[in-house]
Order: sequence, then C-alpha cells, then structure tokens
Amino acid sequence: MEGKAIVPPLHPGGHAVPPLTDRAVVSKLAPTKVAILGAGRGGTALLDLLHLIPSVEIVGISDRDPGAPGLSRAKNLRIPVVDRLEELVYNHGVNLIMDVTGDPEVERFVQLHKRPETEVLSGSAARLLWELVRHEANLQAELFHAEKLAGIGSFAAGVAHDINNPLQLIMGLAENLSEETDLKTVREQAHEIVEAVRRTSAICRDLTQYARKTSARDETVVYLNNRLDEALKIARYAASFHDINVRQEYEDGAAARGNPDEILHILVNLITNAVQAMEQGGGTLTLTTEHFSDGVTLRISDTGCGIEPQVLDQIFEPFFTTKEPGKGTGLGLYNVKAIVTKMRGKIDVDSRVDCGTTFTITFPSPSEGST
Amino acid sequence: MGEFTSGFFIGDQPTNGRVLVVDDEADVRKVVRMTLQKAGYDVLEAENGEKAIETINSGENRLLLDVLICDIRMPKINGVEAIAYFRANYPRVPVIVLTGFPDADMATSMLRQGVVDYLVKPVEGEKLRESVARAMEQRELAHL
Repeated sequence: MEGKAIVPPLHPGGHAVPPLTDRAVVSKLAPTKVAILGAGRGGTALLDLLHLIPSVEIVGISDRDPGAPGLSRAKNLRIPVVDRLEELVYNHGVNLIMDVTGDPEVERFVQLHKRPETEVLSGSAARLLWELVRHEANLQAELFHAEKLAGIGSFAAGVAHDINNPLQLIMGLAENLSEETDLKTVREQAHEIVEAVRRTSAICRDLTQYARKTSARDETVVYLNNRLDEALKIARYAASFHDINVRQEYEDGAAARGNPDEILHILVNLITNAVQAMEQGGGTLTLTTEHFSDGVTLRISDTGCGIEPQVLDQIFEPFFTTKEPGKGTGLGLYNVKAIVTKMRGKIDVDSRVDCGTTFTITFPSPSEGST
Repeated sequence: MGEFTSGFFIGDQPTNGRVLVVDDEADVRKVVRMTLQKAGYDVLEAENGEKAIETINSGENRLLLDVLICDIRMPKINGVEAIAYFRANYPRVPVIVLTGFPDADMATSMLRQGVVDYLVKPVEGEKLRESVARAMEQRELAHL
C-alpha cells in the first residue's frame, strides 16, 4: 500500500498531517502509538477501548502502584506493562501520552521530559475522556443486557411447553395416587413425580442464571465445548428443535479468554438464529471447535434458508434485522461481533441461499496465568 | 364406568368411545390415557401429527375414532397442521386442543376452525373427562 497519494502534507508548523480523505489508509501505515500513564479505573477504561481500535498501538502502560487493576488487565491483553513510567515518557516511539494518574508531579514530569513531537493528554481533558469512555462502556453493557432480556421474551412458548408438560404428568399421577391401592404403583408414581419436579426446577434454574445481568467478573479462560452445550440447552427454549439434527464435533480443550456469561449469550444467539433458519423443513445444526496454531476456531453451521447476498454485509450492523417487526431487536449479531472483537477474535460469515449459513469465529489462545 | 354412548366394542368390552391423543411427550400421553381409561374410553396414542394421520387412516380406526385430543407444538406435522387436516378430512370428529402454551390468539383461531375446546396443561382429570364427554355429545349430534 505504498504510493504518492498517501504522503501526508506538511502544515505550517512542519508536522505531518494526514489528509482527511486518506485517514483510513494512513492509519494502516502509521498507527498512533500511545502510552498510558496510570492504571486505575481511568487507565483500565482507556485500555479496554483503545486496544479495540486497529489504528492505535498501545506501546505500554505504567502505574506506580504495582497492584493497579489496569496492569493485570494489560497482561491479559498482552500489552507491555512498564515498571517505571519515566521509561514511557522518554520512549522515542510514543506519539501520544495519555496521563490519567491525576498526579500533578507526574504531569510536571511529563511536560518537562517528553520528546517535543510527543503530544500529551492530561489533567481534566484526560479525566473527561475516560469518563466518556466509561459512559460508553456502561451503555454497551446496558444494550447487551437489554438485547438479552428481549430475546428471553421469545422463550415463553418453549418454557411453557417444558414446564407444563411435567406439570400435566404431576397432576395426572397425583390424582391417580389419591385412589391407588397398589403399593408398588404408589411408589413408582411418587418417584415419577419427584423426577418431574426436578426437571421443572432445572428449567427455572437455567433460565434465571441466564437472565441475570452479566457479571462484572474479570475475564477468565472459558472452555468453549461446555459453553456450546449450555447454549444448546438454552436455545431450545427460543427455537423449536423439531426435525433438527444436531452434530457436535468438538476438539478437546478448546478454550478462549473472555467473560463466560457474554460468551454463553453470543452462542445462544448464533444457535437460535441457525435453528430458526431451518424452521421450514428441518436440517442439520453443526457445532465445531478445533485448534489451530495460535488459537481456536468455533463454527456454527446450519443447512437452512441462508442469507441473501445483498444483505450479508449488513448483518452485524445495529438494528438490522430480517425478522418480522416485533420478532427481533436487530442487536443480536451486533452484540455477537462486539463481544468477539472485545475478545480479540474475528467473526466471518459464509452463506448461500437455500443451502445454509456458517459463522466462523476465531479466538486467540488464552494467555498464561489464567484461571 | 360412565354412561355408554357410542356403542363401540373393543374386543369383547364395550367402551364409551375411542379417543386419539396426539402429543410429543410420552408422559402426557400416559396420564391422559390413564385419566380417560378410568372413564371407560379406549385411548390410542400418536407422538406427532404425521403419526396421527397415519393412525387415523389405517383401517378400522378411520371408522372408530370419536374424539381427537391434540397438542400444538410438535415435531413433523405440528398441531396446527394436523388439526387443519383432520377438520378438512374428518369434519365429524371433534377436536380438543391440549397445549402447554396459553395463547389467546391461537385459541381464538382454533375455535374458529371448529375445535370444540382449548385446554391448557396442566388440566385436571375431571375437566378433561368433562371436555371429552361434551365432545362425544357433539359427535353424536353430528350423526343425527
């Protein structure tokens, strides 16, 4: 991608300024190299946002407190943690220092010792920026939860079916027991009632666990095969699995680093979509996990109606839906992509009308020091 | 034994009539069978709409079926499709819906299609027997 069209012009001060129209191209060539000073709440919020932006390279993060939360977060994201923040200030490769320490001494030190071409964001401007970032993160979390709850509305028919059937059994057996005189039959039917109650309470337990707000716990190593099995169980409430053949082709130990609740939710979304695509005439749902050199691939594949080619590149956009009004929020795949990106993964879709759709997600290997 | 209405004989035993229960849950079929057998009905079972259509079209059953009890959410041919088939091909056989999902729109639509009752699980044995007895009366009126 070298060429004359992307050479940045010089502004009167002599600094290179990228032309607005070529920003995306320039950013591929010259990422903004950022150093973050301070790894408290502000530093962590910036870290979480900036590491998702392809045109930003985080050179390092530093904090005088070795127990600051942003430092362990940085290690998980494989971002360099620098013991002495002075090293980042002197670093030749840094274009922008973001100082969120709130410490006037640090601010003075940066102003005195930074390289002339390095820009600095500090003080109230830095604080305002991380407040905005945190606000955005909260909105994303709320959106995620709202979409999950909206999806649970579609579970009503499946839940009613799975609860009322055992209740019918319990009702019938209990009525029979009031007249039954054969002790062996009494014992058998009492046992059946107990089992039916257990099945019913398991449904309530699964759903209340799923519906709760995603826990704020730190990311951990998540075993994807278990999560897929769990998601399959939940998705059965959202879509009818009648005439659906399920194939589970798992490779042992497939894992990724992420939030287990978020991963469960995106898998429920993808499996539900796949099964709904096969509502007319049934088909095969294939869930695959496999290792590759640097990570793991997870595939969710259906043999359903497929996605029209002209809308394929819109499916991850917010509020895009092909479902009838009131049946979908249009936020499902948007959230799927957001979570995958947050986990430093990639999602691709391959679809052919009347043949089926495959979503392929790749996650990097979970880093060491995981739980 | 309740009152004898239809005069069918299964083997040597007179029954109050023959009922086909269509539900994908074996447990539900089992308790419906238990409840209705106590009231003197002969009960046939089918696990989905497809099997129900096979059952009713197989030989003597075509002539002997008095009441159909049908779930809605089922594999193969679901309840809506199966009921539409039965209403079109066996309009004199009364249909009772027994579903796990109370849905007012569905109930209205089913009753408009001629379904005689829309019951929501779990239904008490007495209520189920009353519903079948009413359906049997309609069946007899249809014969007149």
